[in-house]
Amino acid sequence: MPEAKALILCVDDEPIPLTLRKSVLEKWGFAVLAVRSGAEALAMIERQPVDLVLTDLLMPGLSGTELAREMKRLRPNIPVVLLSGVNEIPEDAEAADLFLSKVEGPVAMCNKISEMLNRSRAKSVSG
Amino acid sequence: MAAPALEKLREHTGGYGNLTDAGEKVNILMVDDQPAKLLSYEVILAGLGENLIKATSATEALEHLLKKDIAIVLTDVSMPDIDGFDLAEMIRQHPRFQKTAIIFISGVHLTDVDRVKGYRQGAVDYITVPVIPELLRAKVSVFAELHRKRRQLETLNRHLEQRVAERTEELRERADLLELATEAIIVRELNGTITFWNSGAEELYGWRRHEAIGANIADLLRTRSIDGNADWQAELLANGTWEGNLLHITRDGREIIVASRQAVKAENHGSPGTLLEINRDITSKLQTEEALRKAERLAAMGRVAGIIAHEINNPLEAIINAFYLLRDHPSLDAEARKYARLGEQELVRISHIVRQTLGFYRESQQPTSVPIAEILDSVLELQSRHFQVNRIQLEKLYQADCHVFGFPVELKQVFLNLIGNAVQAMPDGGRLRMRVGEHTDPRTQVRGIAISICDTGAGISPEVSKRLFEPFFSTKAAKGTGLGLWISKGIVQKHEGTIHFRSVRTSSGGATCFRVFLPEHGPANLMKPSVIASDSGTRSNGGKLA
Repeated sequence: MPEAKALILCVDDEPIPLTLRKSVLEKWGFAVLAVRSGAEALAMIERQPVDLVLTDLLMPGLSGTELAREMKRLRPNIPVVLLSGVNEIPEDAEAADLFLSKVEGPVAMCNKISEMLNRSRAKSVSG
Repeated sequence: MAAPALEKLREHTGGYGNLTDAGEKVNILMVDDQPAKLLSYEVILAGLGENLIKATSATEALEHLLKKDIAIVLTDVSMPDIDGFDLAEMIRQHPRFQKTAIIFISGVHLTDVDRVKGYRQGAVDYITVPVIPELLRAKVSVFAELHRKRRQLETLNRHLEQRVAERTEELRERADLLELATEAIIVRELNGTITFWNSGAEELYGWRRHEAIGANIADLLRTRSIDGNADWQAELLANGTWEGNLLHITRDGREIIVASRQAVKAENHGSPGTLLEINRDITSKLQTEEALRKAERLAAMGRVAGIIAHEINNPLEAIINAFYLLRDHPSLDAEARKYARLGEQELVRISHIVRQTLGFYRESQQPTSVPIAEILDSVLELQSRHFQVNRIQLEKLYQADCHVFGFPVELKQVFLNLIGNAVQAMPDGGRLRMRVGEHTDPRTQVRGIAISICDTGAGISPEVSKRLFEPFFSTKAAKGTGLGLWISKGIVQKHEGTIHFRSVRTSSGGATCFRVFLPEHGPANLMKPSVIASDSGTRSNGGKLA
């Protein structure tokens, strides 16, 4: 568990899955900001020192991959994780750093996010 | 003197020369040693409008005969040296002149008339002296006409012969075409006896011509109708033609579907005589169509599965998260926590099934070190219910710590297929033996892991063996997609591995062993830099997930 809580920006248009995912991440020890759209997410990174973005793939307005691309343009150092209910990896998933299936479960999700944060931190320390 | 002339005649081997047209003048050769007589004949015959040629001796007459096509020889009987009869004799001996008409002119002697009658061949006549002009004209004119008619006939004959030759050539060409045709062309009698069998038929059915001809077609090809039209033969006889698909068995026992066109060839009296059939093999065409239909069905199923998976996965994630939060919640007592935990376990099962059945969850990661034993055990766990229900004994012989580099979910797919097939091969119980061990390919010296999965099911027949790894080939009828082993082979090959099987069938049962070899280095050529591995910080949008 990280010493200083990492701040995760959690994006999903559906409120119940968003709330539960936020709770799981908080239980795991992350600080979580939950927003309901890509546009809100882009506004949020201007105000908060976000360490990682965890976004749903299929959303009205900006899709997960569109958001990832935009994030990479604005904040190339913030890792973006795509989370989706589709079993097939979308063609443009490479816009994000990692693609996760929703049914991998909370433990796998949190582990992979931790791993991603560790890499990102190591990179910013060395770089 | 006669002999050299005759020789000349015999030496002359040419044909008829330029045959004149039917309407043209004919040549009339008049032979008499007395020029005055020749002159009188000339006067008598001038009115006929034919060509008159004069010769004062038999020898001279023969010269003319050699050079020209002579229709009629008008000859005096009594001539010095060679008389008229001798001349006639010489003319007749040559085949070319056998039809030349000869008219003798002589005084009335009974013996002469008898001699004239002695000539059996060709047109021969005689005229007594004194010559009555009308009579001579009449006789000559009849023979001239006869000659002209014969020439017409000959011309006609030649044309006919040419036509026959052309037609024969045409038929021969057509026969060659029949032979070359890739379609099977068969002629049979009404009772089914085969009378014609082309090379297309040899090719299609495997029976050689000498084997097929004389055989009964129904016995040889074991013809069956497949359009549910058992009365096709009656239809053929009633309508004179029939078209449809038939099932035939080839010499090597293969069942083929042919598109057949059949026709009745009537005999002279209108009663049916022989039956002609032209068959084309459409087995592979039908199979391709069937495969396409299946592929389309699968694609449609895939799309539906994708939609369903998405619709299920979204709430499923929320529920799983809810149970995850719930199970250790401090406000719950021990019993409530137990229920929450059980609920969570069952949810894990659902998510597992969703991932396994509703589309392939392709791996986004780069190849990793895959613990083979763990993968196998997870597959066995999925099948555990079948082991109990089917009373299958499990033997595991794992060498410790076997890893290969690869894609775990894809490899799991392979073993799920192989173990699933093995379980399905033993509906009445049996033994499943799984071995895992290090192995070095003796041919390539590549080190890796060999996994063998053996069942004591019915075994695999040689016919099935050949097609086992083909796409859309299934022995499970409607239950299987026919893609399992094909996909498995693809995955193994992607890992640069090999997949083989061996099967035995005995009266008491059988055994089948699938053996997969995976090199430990894994799919080396597929190790593209993955997004996660790109630590350089120069990550571009062109970077691909592995």
